[in-house]
Amino acid sequence: MRKFRWSHIYLTIVFLLLYLPIFYLIFYSFNTGTTMNQFTGFSLAHYQALFADSRLLIIVLNTFLLAFLSALIATMIGVLGAIGIYYNKKRWLKNTLLSFNNVLLVSPDVIIGASFLIFFTMIGSWFRSFHLGFISVLLSHCAFSVPIVVLMVLPKLQEMKDSMVDAARDLGANSWQVMKDIILPFLTPGIIAGYFMAFTYSLDDFAVTFFVTGNGFTTMSVEIYSRARQGIDLEINALSTLVFLFSLFLVIGYYFISKENRSKRLRKNRLKRKKADLT
Amino acid sequence: MKRLQALFIGICFILLLLFFGVQTLEKSTGMSGAKVVNIYNWGDYIDPELIDRFEKESGYKVNYDTFDSNEAMFTKIQQGGTAYDIAIPSEYMIQKMIEQNLVLPLEKEKLKGLDNIDPQFLDLSFDSQNRYSVPYFWGTLGIAYNDKMVDEGAITSWDDLWSPALKNNVMLIDGAREIIGLGLNSLGYSLNSKEQSQLQEATMKLRKLTPNVKAIVADEIKMYMENEESAVAVTFSGEAADMMAENEHIHYVIPEEGSNLWFDNLVIPKTAQNKEGAYAFINFMLEPENAAQNAEYIGYSTPNEKALALLPKEITEDEQFYPSDERLAHLEVYENLGSQYLGIYNDLFLELKMYRK
Repeated sequence: MRKFRWSHIYLTIVFLLLYLPIFYLIFYSFNTGTTMNQFTGFSLAHYQALFADSRLLIIVLNTFLLAFLSALIATMIGVLGAIGIYYNKKRWLKNTLLSFNNVLLVSPDVIIGASFLIFFTMIGSWFRSFHLGFISVLLSHCAFSVPIVVLMVLPKLQEMKDSMVDAARDLGANSWQVMKDIILPFLTPGIIAGYFMAFTYSLDDFAVTFFVTGNGFTTMSVEIYSRARQGIDLEINALSTLVFLFSLFLVIGYYFISKENRSKRLRKNRLKRKKADLT
Repeated sequence: MKRLQALFIGICFILLLLFFGVQTLEKSTGMSGAKVVNIYNWGDYIDPELIDRFEKESGYKVNYDTFDSNEAMFTKIQQGGTAYDIAIPSEYMIQKMIEQNLVLPLEKEKLKGLDNIDPQFLDLSFDSQNRYSVPYFWGTLGIAYNDKMVDEGAITSWDDLWSPALKNNVMLIDGAREIIGLGLNSLGYSLNSKEQSQLQEATMKLRKLTPNVKAIVADEIKMYMENEESAVAVTFSGEAADMMAENEHIHYVIPEEGSNLWFDNLVIPKTAQNKEGAYAFINFMLEPENAAQNAEYIGYSTPNEKALALLPKEITEDEQFYPSDERLAHLEVYENLGSQYLGIYNDLFLELKMYRK
């Protein structure tokens, strides 16, 4: 028999607390009734309603489009930013830049959202054609994702041995080749992690988006929030179920991407050891 | 680098897929090239079918955004940067928006069907002669109760809330104007009172209510009442309509001392870019068939007199939602008290919330 451990019980309780509400919600998405008060029977009516509601579907697709795109842009900027900070010669400047990066990480979403609203309306007063909408939301999502990417990539940079870059230089590589063949491949796990972090941040952001949406562009969180006033429909349960499943697939995908990397390295190490044994 | 490239290409592929998905969906919902009407409304406050029909009939495409409070809507419109052609605020907010020059005066000759509206909902204090707004829905503040826990007909007035039998069984809506107003009404004062002594008296009376108060909550009140967590709740008529649809034991009364009569009206914000579309939408909503369909879908009371004739009798004869004229005469509309008095109301309400029995 396995040894009894308090820590296992603790973990079980924590996971129950985290997952029970989600499963409760998923369970009721199959209800025949229209409320979560009573389970009256199994039906897929709410899923049908969801797929008939093209406005909601557009919002969902837009939310994901926004998340994928803003994470992509933020990752590009963030990686370059991290490299820029890391290779900065002046120590004080490096520290200041890092601190500024961290300030953005901890500042409340509401503050960021409000400042973006003021900023964008200012831009709007200069350029008449600029309105709150997809572009403003995209820009603010990129902005709050960049510091996260920087933070995910920097440790990888610090892990990297500078001698590799020096060696490449000695062998005549130019800056682009150093970047392409040495730095970026080494940073890949950090970049992927940063991308997924930025993606999730964008996906579940409510506060910032709330301020900068407009002109027909909304995201899931804002839409569900304003529907909540009238009592949430089970259609939202159905949607949440689908999004939950999608996130599950995403996590599994991420697991395989990062695992493949690890197992390759393990295999290489094993091979090396074997060779060492032989000699 | 190869993996990064693969990831990058993969993401671009997903992006393209999503982009075309949105495009095709948008095309299927309407003419993407058509002129757009931007509508800013409360969440779930219109029958979606009506939007489709409006798009079909008028040829405009509707961009429909939602807000959850008058204040949020006000900030968005005041800040600019949005181009809403239609917004649907409540009466006190309309007054505030008029004062701050945020809404456009209506060109009456472009409105068709304003005479469908019951005259008693026109020309009200917050917008005299309806220079800026057209009624959309109206409702009251009242008491919802569950006849399993309270005898049917036992509650007719605000004063009944103080009954010792209701100990720890009353839920209040979390609104300063609503609750202080209830106190004032129960004493026979106006709920727009600016008399310091009346306000004091009202709060003293409300303090005596605290043993009965189970909770002061917001929109969750609906769910709690449906689940029979509490016997009595002070809430809005439309919320009560939802409760009654879910739980047949729930009834709604408008207290006889008088209560609040509220309105949500259509206005054209100053930022509007498609005024023709805005008028088209207002006219569309003024048509009796559309107003009736909307009222049936939402559950609030329609101000449209001709629509009433189209609604089922059991709805329009329901005194709870379409009170008699004499009862209506007792009801009062909130006036914008100005920030000073709004502050006093808020402070009194906060003190009340902190008061321990």
